[in-house]
Amino acid sequence: MNSLDSILSNKPISPLREMAAYEALWAHQNATFKTIADCFRENPGVMPSELVTEPEIDETLERVLDKIKLANIYDYGIRIHGSEDYPNRLRSAAHPVEFLYYRGCWDLIEAPKRIAVVGSREPTEDGKRRARKIVKMLVADGYTIVSGLARGIDTVAHTTAIECGGNTVAVIGTPITEHYPPENRDLQEKIARDFLLISQVPIWRYSQQSFKYNRLFFPERNATMSALSQATIIIEASNTSGTLTQARAALHQGRKLFILDSCFRNPELTWPERFEKQGAIRVVDYDDIRANLE
Amino acid sequence: MNSHFLEIDELVRSDHWYLEPEDECYYIGEYTARGGHACSETNQLIHNFKKSLERRGRPEWNYKERAISRIANLIRANIRNDAVLTFVPIPPSKSKDHPLYDDRMSRVLNFASSGRPSDVRELIVQVRSVEATHLSNERPSPDDLLQNYLLDEALCMPEPQLIFLVDDVLTTGCHFKAAKRLLSTRFPNVRIVGLFVARRVPNSDFDALD
Repeated sequence: MNSLDSILSNKPISPLREMAAYEALWAHQNATFKTIADCFRENPGVMPSELVTEPEIDETLERVLDKIKLANIYDYGIRIHGSEDYPNRLRSAAHPVEFLYYRGCWDLIEAPKRIAVVGSREPTEDGKRRARKIVKMLVADGYTIVSGLARGIDTVAHTTAIECGGNTVAVIGTPITEHYPPENRDLQEKIARDFLLISQVPIWRYSQQSFKYNRLFFPERNATMSALSQATIIIEASNTSGTLTQARAALHQGRKLFILDSCFRNPELTWPERFEKQGAIRVVDYDDIRANLE
Repeated sequence: MNSHFLEIDELVRSDHWYLEPEDECYYIGEYTARGGHACSETNQLIHNFKKSLERRGRPEWNYKERAISRIANLIRANIRNDAVLTFVPIPPSKSKDHPLYDDRMSRVLNFASSGRPSDVRELIVQVRSVEATHLSNERPSPDDLLQNYLLDEALCMPEPQLIFLVDDVLTTGCHFKAAKRLLSTRFPNVRIVGLFVARRVPNSDFDALD
């Protein structure tokens, strides 16, 4: 069939081929979110398929579809920059993603009130209690709870939101074909079925390298999580926590950043004051969040 | 950046089970609303666009008018100024003599092609009003639908060079197949392309109601 080039002013997007092209870009040895974002910055309006060769697309497509089939996933969808459903909020990120995978109810992406609740993978009992309390109040106020499905605070945030009858969005640092951490498999599947699961992590690249390299995908997804939300709340985090990536991203993206007072009162932590000077809001009680969001 | 049309390709075709690989179809967004919520832009656009005529005169009617111009602009932006083609709306569920007949898609297409060489022809006439497919219990096949379609012979000349068959939401592809069959019988040498404002993803409200 001839193309519609003489009829259409923009080349139509083939979701399948763009998916393969995105994966093919990532198959390049030195690809990072930054190098890929730079590439699109230098070529505005270009599609992934215009940056790789046709044989690369064909080859990658077969590999990726195999991985998806092997993972038994049939209910995924994609979003691509340049199409109507791509969330423009993602453009606030320093290295915005051009493409992402999703499972579940995409509609939640535009829930009118969205807030990210994140924190340590090894939280204290007090931290977990605070997370539960805040999530309950946020859900009661109609917020959709966005988090990263990691161990610790993220898990508490998602499960509390679900228990309270609220909505939740998980932005994961692994591909849709993986379950991590393994103990959250059921939670991930529940979110993928009844809520919304998002991943920007390339399936093929991830399958080809060790965890040592794959763990770098975790902090990268925090920038996307922040960009998708109107604000981020940090419940608890050490001085070296990956959560702080999200704090930096939120401030850089012009999103509100809330830090619980308990973090400020911990004498070992240096980051709360630092972020407060850059505009983060100290939360002594729940009204500090509410007052700053309305 | 202008939104590009998306192609119904192997990734999504099986969600629309009457469609076959040789059916050339494009869409703008995905209808994903579930449980009565409709937050995403595409979901809201479709909801507003399909607002029943019974709501005319109410304040919410403005949303429908805005949806009509938004969809027209999305289509217009993707069609070249000099493109020669014929837009054909897939008939809505109510026939023209029905008080709730809604000409929303014809309005979109007239707007999208105004001042351009493309034209809009309501080539397909629905004989009887039917309950909107998403409200009725029976699932008609393309053959069933075809029996309720007539070609408006008065509008057939000159022969179109290229036909874009346009509908708001692609569900099973049944209406498209029936309409395409009718047109390709009359114009066997004309390329017929489907264009949809949205395709519904499985498990959305459109499925529950379909």
